[in-house]
Amino acid sequence: MTDYGQDLLFGTFITPSARPVQKAVELAVAADEYGLDLATFQDHPYQPSFHDTWTLMSYVASRTTRIKVAGNVLNLPLREPALLARAAASLDLLSGGRVELGLGSGAFWDGIAAMGGRRLTAGQAVDALAEGIEVIRSVWDTSSPGGVHVRGTYYTVDGAKRGPAPAHDIGIWVGAYKPRMLRLTGRLADGWLPSLSYLPGGPSDLTEMNAHLDGAAEAAGRSPSDIRRFLNLNGSFSAESRGFLDGPPDQWAEELAGLTLEYGITGFILAADSPAAIELFAKEIAPATRELVAAERS
Amino acid sequence: MNYGHPLEFGTFVTPGNAPPHDPVALAKRSEELGFDLVTFQDHPYLPAFHEMWTLLSWVAGQTSRIRLAPNVINVPMRTPSVLARAAASLDLLSGGRLDLGLGAGAYREAAAAMGATVLPPRESVDALSEAIDIIRALHDVSSGRPARAGGTHHRIVGAQPGPAPAHHVPIWLGALKPRMLRLTGEKADGWLPSFRNVGRDGLVAGNKVIDEAAVAVGREPSDIRRLLNISGTFSATSSGFLQGPPSQWVDELLPLILEDGVGTLILATDSPAIMETFASEVIPALRAAAPAPTTFKPSGVRAKRRPGIGYDELPASLASAAVEPGDVEYPLVRSNYMRGGSPGLVLRPSTDAEVADAVAFAARHRHLPFGVRSGGHGVSGRSTNDGGIVLDLGRFKDFEVLDTAKRLVRVGAGMRWMEVAAALEPHGWALTSGDYGGVGVGGLATAGGIGFLGRKHGLTLDHIRAATVVLADGTIVRASPEEHPDLFWALRGAGANVGVVTSFDFQVPEVGDVGWAQFVLDASDTAQMLVKYGAAVEAAPRDVTPFLLMGAPQPGQPHFAQVMAMVDSGDPEKIIADLTPIASVSALYDQNVVIAPYAAVIANASSEPHRGQGEPISRSGFVRHLTPEVAAAIARLLGSGATPFFQIRAVGGAISDVADEDTAYAHRSANFQITALGRNRQRLDAVWDREMYGVTEGLYLSFETDPRPDRLTDAFPPATLSRLRTIKAAYDPTNLFRDNFNIAPSESAA
Ligand SMILES: Cc1cc2nc3c(=O)[nH]c(=O)nc-3n(C[C@H](O)[C@H](O)[C@H](O)COP(=O)(O)OP(=O)(O)OC[C@H]3O[C@@H](n4cnc5c(N)ncnc54)[C@H](O)[C@@H]3O)c2cc1C
Repeated sequence: MTDYGQDLLFGTFITPSARPVQKAVELAVAADEYGLDLATFQDHPYQPSFHDTWTLMSYVASRTTRIKVAGNVLNLPLREPALLARAAASLDLLSGGRVELGLGSGAFWDGIAAMGGRRLTAGQAVDALAEGIEVIRSVWDTSSPGGVHVRGTYYTVDGAKRGPAPAHDIGIWVGAYKPRMLRLTGRLADGWLPSLSYLPGGPSDLTEMNAHLDGAAEAAGRSPSDIRRFLNLNGSFSAESRGFLDGPPDQWAEELAGLTLEYGITGFILAADSPAAIELFAKEIAPATRELVAAERS
Repeated sequence: MNYGHPLEFGTFVTPGNAPPHDPVALAKRSEELGFDLVTFQDHPYLPAFHEMWTLLSWVAGQTSRIRLAPNVINVPMRTPSVLARAAASLDLLSGGRLDLGLGAGAYREAAAAMGATVLPPRESVDALSEAIDIIRALHDVSSGRPARAGGTHHRIVGAQPGPAPAHHVPIWLGALKPRMLRLTGEKADGWLPSFRNVGRDGLVAGNKVIDEAAVAVGREPSDIRRLLNISGTFSATSSGFLQGPPSQWVDELLPLILEDGVGTLILATDSPAIMETFASEVIPALRAAAPAPTTFKPSGVRAKRRPGIGYDELPASLASAAVEPGDVEYPLVRSNYMRGGSPGLVLRPSTDAEVADAVAFAARHRHLPFGVRSGGHGVSGRSTNDGGIVLDLGRFKDFEVLDTAKRLVRVGAGMRWMEVAAALEPHGWALTSGDYGGVGVGGLATAGGIGFLGRKHGLTLDHIRAATVVLADGTIVRASPEEHPDLFWALRGAGANVGVVTSFDFQVPEVGDVGWAQFVLDASDTAQMLVKYGAAVEAAPRDVTPFLLMGAPQPGQPHFAQVMAMVDSGDPEKIIADLTPIASVSALYDQNVVIAPYAAVIANASSEPHRGQGEPISRSGFVRHLTPEVAAAIARLLGSGATPFFQIRAVGGAISDVADEDTAYAHRSANFQITALGRNRQRLDAVWDREMYGVTEGLYLSFETDPRPDRLTDAFPPATLSRLRTIKAAYDPTNLFRDNFNIAPSESAA
């Protein structure tokens, strides 16, 4: 049992399809109206049927009032960290603190190379991500003196001015599965963002992954509760139970509460491209889950 | 020198981030004041500025009309391929409002400190040239193939183009030195210097270099718009260039327009007062003194024009939304769902008056094919063509409830049936259409509408109470039982012949959740199965409307039929009871029944642009019953292998409650509509003529592509046809509307 005690967040994972042009925007607006906490978007700049995720996030933030936006996760190999830091700070200022930064080390290297990006091995990409995070945090950090001086193997940002400071402390969330990335997440990140469908053993895989995160956090002098654990969810709603996350709302609430209490998951992000699913998640499942968790914790 | 560009005016706003919303407010003010565009500089190394692209995207969400442009992007700090996709996205999200100002990069040390690769000036121009190639390659989806571009400084290697932007995103270069000016002439759509940096002499000299470079690569100087950033202040007395009263500004700016060919003036100011004075006193005076055309197409686009079309005579109302073969949007609008097309011009009006303009334009081009298109799913009608004109109603997407008590709704002809279903669903209403949600309202509702609620609620066109129609002479009329009753009669079954319907008023039934079943029946004895199936369908309550689908028998595999059936009931027991007799006519291989809203069942199409190729091949016929004779003929047709896709749609029921003479659709007594799609016209026609023609009575024109003249008399029985000829003579005597089962006007009446 690992519950890190954070409050619960509920969000959507919206496909950034470029057609119909406004579909992703409309879904995010619906999520905002129904009261979800997060609208998140995958980022595959080599995928021609998708919107550019940063442009979409900026536009969505402009069309919504309350919900936060985040990449889930942004493709760092095709986005220069110093510029990304400034962009995130700008959007955070414009939106009144509604941006979080989901980051990934890159996966589809053929696609990245086709776009003119550099091809890295998995190990190199983890190191590059660590450097990228350092660059981003240094740009945001206007309280330290002097300019940004990160001289890395993959990114060198040497002498750039710091700032602007974002409107709030933007969280850096990392999509991680393998031990090295998990350790990086535990060491450097504010959040961890895996997808349930990528866990071969289902939720029980989370135990070992949490151990990697917690160990790395502690080794770096942080507390395991500094890292919020998200989970991207796939599932369906049906009148009768047909399996894990496939059933009526009260079953969902029980299973999600179980994920919180057993594995410390406190951010639930539903892959949903229909307003009806978003509404159900926001209006029925989120409050019921919160209630169950509150009851257990008290 | 004047390049003939329409005059435009913009603002140039400092993207400061403290307070963060100042530049947003100035952008909105620019829009309110009627400026054509708002632009922002891009200096990512300056922490006091917003990151420009984020700001631009944010402003897109806060404005609706004004165009947006970076002025200019620091290209060395961005990955051109990602920039290309971002530009396409922002253009799409903003509804085609993006223009792209690019620069080779200034402030080299600051850029290098951010991690950018900074090149010597000469190479940075080469790098910019590669970046332009990459952006253009990724915006061009016409080939559908992966793209390669660039090479030395930037590259894409096998990246798939897309998404296509909403319009050709023009690229303007902030050029000063000769190499950049030459690049502008060779590749760009515009030149964007600041007056402060070039002065009058620099404009003259720069124009010369650009014009020569353009001509040297076979372009025309007018392909490059000349833009200019200017700044100044208003005061009662003059104290220098653009320092004085508005009249002085007009006097000083006018020569730049008339003599130096400047087409866009961009005012650099963060002062709302200066913007206001400029908008109210300078712009109108300049427009009055320097009249300019309203649209402009570069030579590369004009080179792809088709013969016989008066492109330059298009009325202003149509010009900006029209698409011609050289336009970037052309690949998205040329073809239909089942038919490839290469029209010379696609007109996309958005009001009835614009449709009238489009009809008048088409009437001046009688020598060319003319197609009227709503959803582009025509099988019979040539709503796209080769070298002709297409009038596309895709922008007629308005939906309105006219009267809740009477369940009267107004539906734009350009909506898709799945969109209509989604709009009706919250009211607890549904309108039968067909089996595919992507089909358009205009084509289906003017021909019939044989759908999944047909036996219960009739044809789609049985629900039309009135329509707005643009006639061949350009008049806009209402057709209903009281107004133009002849037209109202004709457009329900032969609408393509009498006018362009822009909206329909439908009275729609209340429909709750429906039962939706899909099952697979053994068809090894095809004829026997069909006879039993036919009897079961005819005996079923009207709530049930099934469509049956079969292919050619495959050697070594069991032959089967797939049935899709809707039951207008949300009661599981009734659904099962109604379907069981139909599902029992032979061995049942597979079944799936759900209870769902009609809208969910019909939401089965993608909204991708059409990419049809070639011509569909299809035959159609009606039968009263699936008699042993009919069933045997069908079995022989299927056995011939000439039709890989064969359907029997149940009709009858409420459709038969209407008399044949009440609408131009006259096949009311049939219980089944049969469709066979083929791959080879001769082969399908030979088998259909031999096996099916003799056992069918009449045809549904929407599923018939046989061009032989007899098909017209099969589509319309003699009395119907004769009345249609008379109406045609009254409403379209010159036979302008002729792309779908054309009826020649009767001569006696003309
Ligand atoms: C996959 C598929 C499934 C189908 N299923 C069914 C079905 O189940 N039941 C059924 O009844 N039909 C069905 N159809 C046939 C369909 O109804 C016709 O092809 C119809 O014409 C398509 O309408 P559209 O507006 O999409 O086509 P378009 O290609 O835009 O138009 C077809 C023709 O209709 C005329 N037309 C279009 N708009 C207007 C207008 N506003 N005013 C006047 N004339 C106009 C034109 O002459 C044009 O050539 C199907 C077609 C396809 C491709």
